[in-house]
Amino acid sequence: MRRLLLALAILLLIVSTWIGLTQGQIDPLQRNILYVHVPNSVCALLCFVVVLVASVGYLATAGQTWDLVATAAAEAGFVFATILNATGMIFSRAEWNVWWTPSPRLVTSAILWFLYAVYLILQVSLPGAQRRAARLCAVFCIIAFLDVPLVYLSARFIPDIHRPNFSFDSAWQTAALMLGMTGTALLAGGLIWLRTSLLRDSLRLEQELLR
Amino acid sequence: MKDVWLGLRAILIKDIVVELRARQVLPTMVVLGMLIVFLLRMASEPASAGAGAPVMGAAALWIAFLFSGLLAQERSFAAEQQNGCMDGLLLAPLDAGTIYLAKLLANVILLTIFEAVIVPLVLIAFHLHVAGWGRLVAVLLLGNLGISSVGTLFSAAVQLTRTRGALLSIVVLVLLMPMMIPASFALLVLFEALPERVSGSGSLAFVGSFQAAVAYMLALDAVFCVASWLLFGVVVEE
Repeated sequence: MRRLLLALAILLLIVSTWIGLTQGQIDPLQRNILYVHVPNSVCALLCFVVVLVASVGYLATAGQTWDLVATAAAEAGFVFATILNATGMIFSRAEWNVWWTPSPRLVTSAILWFLYAVYLILQVSLPGAQRRAARLCAVFCIIAFLDVPLVYLSARFIPDIHRPNFSFDSAWQTAALMLGMTGTALLAGGLIWLRTSLLRDSLRLEQELLR
Repeated sequence: MKDVWLGLRAILIKDIVVELRARQVLPTMVVLGMLIVFLLRMASEPASAGAGAPVMGAAALWIAFLFSGLLAQERSFAAEQQNGCMDGLLLAPLDAGTIYLAKLLANVILLTIFEAVIVPLVLIAFHLHVAGWGRLVAVLLLGNLGISSVGTLFSAAVQLTRTRGALLSIVVLVLLMPMMIPASFALLVLFEALPERVSGSGSLAFVGSFQAAVAYMLALDAVFCVASWLLFGVVVEE
């Protein structure tokens, strides 16, 4: 099931890339990075929501699975946020001739990346005290979530250098983006699933060894 | 309500008396703050001698607050680790939220005293002119509350980790990143480096106006304080 999900995700990403490179090409060339950039930005945020839900779930029930899901989602989210910022910088250099500029969206994307980085450091900061570390991370995530959307959402309503006027003039382009979006979302789901069961297995192994 | 007040006052007075007798934190905070201000002044010589002075001054002020605040916050629960003081605090017939509020208040007071020393120093070092002292005090207090609220919560949280000071600093700095945007904006307006209202497409235009900056800071302070007050119990629970 998990393999099927991941295989489907990769297939969709290949099809999306292929359409993007042939029928759905956007002019000028650098704007084609949007087929990677936009799905990754959406998934970076989705993973954040998953971490939040899992954190609240953990604090409410103290069930270990919640914590494992939160960790897995944060790891996946970190990868997506890294790709989001990296592709964004490449695009920015080609389009605006600067690697980075403090525009609201670029700032909030950078903050998102930092939050994931700190979350992952927190996760390993309490060796041997799984429950305390989990609680600490859950609290951090909740405060971060209360803190960031305030800025993130308000950044949507103001003029910004970010968002050049892409005109999707063919159905191919829309199709490539949508397939990329679905593929990346499935990839995120598959990775979180895979990582959660890996984490659970390693915990079980640890307990077996201790016995 | 009366119990809350009594407990809060007891912890607050204890912290202040300890600080007055031992003088562990405040001198270190002040010296660190002064070092940051002077280092930034020296490192930015060409900019700070001319039109860049208000910008560098605002940056120096917030950076000094952030890092010296971290010192105070780190101490505030590290001091409770010796002789099982933390267990004593938790065993007291008090809500965990009350312990948090008392510690928060102690940290706010420390940082306010620190501000009283550092702000004049920054104004002198960077030759700054302030438009509206009342507004400056208000902005500084809002920043103070935001820095202290997050710091106090996570100070308790990181005590059992191996790298507590380092860990506290990254956690607090990353959570305060969103707040530093309106905070810098407000100071830049007060130091007359920006007009009251800014439009365009940069991250400063995103704040928009001085009122909006203050509103952002108020909102973030409220969120930080309430969330930390509610979550403190979760953090210190064994």
